[in-house]
Amino acid sequence: MREIASLDEIFEFLEEFVDGQGVDERTALCINLVAEELFTNMVRHNQGGGDEIVIRVDRVDGQLRLELIDTDVEDFDPETVDVVPVKSGIEGRRPGGLGIHLVRSMVDDLKYDYQAEDRRMRISVTKTLET
Amino acid sequence: MLEIARNDNGVISLQGRFDASQVEAARAVLTTIAESCTLDFTDLTYISSAGLGLLFATQKRLVDSGGALKLVNLNPHIREIFQIAGFDNIFEIA
Repeated sequence: MREIASLDEIFEFLEEFVDGQGVDERTALCINLVAEELFTNMVRHNQGGGDEIVIRVDRVDGQLRLELIDTDVEDFDPETVDVVPVKSGIEGRRPGGLGIHLVRSMVDDLKYDYQAEDRRMRISVTKTLET
Repeated sequence: MLEIARNDNGVISLQGRFDASQVEAARAVLTTIAESCTLDFTDLTYISSAGLGLLFATQKRLVDSGGALKLVNLNPHIREIFQIAGFDNIFEIA
């Protein structure tokens, strides 16, 4: 469902997947974080969207692939979010943009596409498993 | 689930997962911090940008009034998150 309270359900879904796949702990935590950041951004910024946000996770050739799909929403590419000045002290920092910064830093690849016909946003990321 | 408790020695301990669904409950506690104090992360297993944002707001408020938070016992994953976020420039981490 499109609400922050759904996070527990998402974490349970991901935990079941990573346990079944024998995914290492660090990668599992990263995927939890990435899923939360992308999902909460969709909940907060895609207001008026469809009832559900679809989350898929898969393991392909030593990588985890996570995909989130939201429909009936505006086009908003997360890659356009301003870079966070991480080297600044507290006076140079402002709230915002940190979630996308964490996602960019923790995954190997992030792809965004938007289909205007059904106003569908899809974000997919891949993360290489640790050996 | 996140639990926050103030110990007898004034240290505030965080236990569990500090995700977006826990922010309002955490805000109710962290807004009561009026002076410098230590947050013990020994039993904190996860933090996202939602938790980081609330810690940042608390730190900003305290720094503006001459105080600061000190963070101790971060596990390696959470320490990495703090480094990626650049929060090691904002907090004293021991």
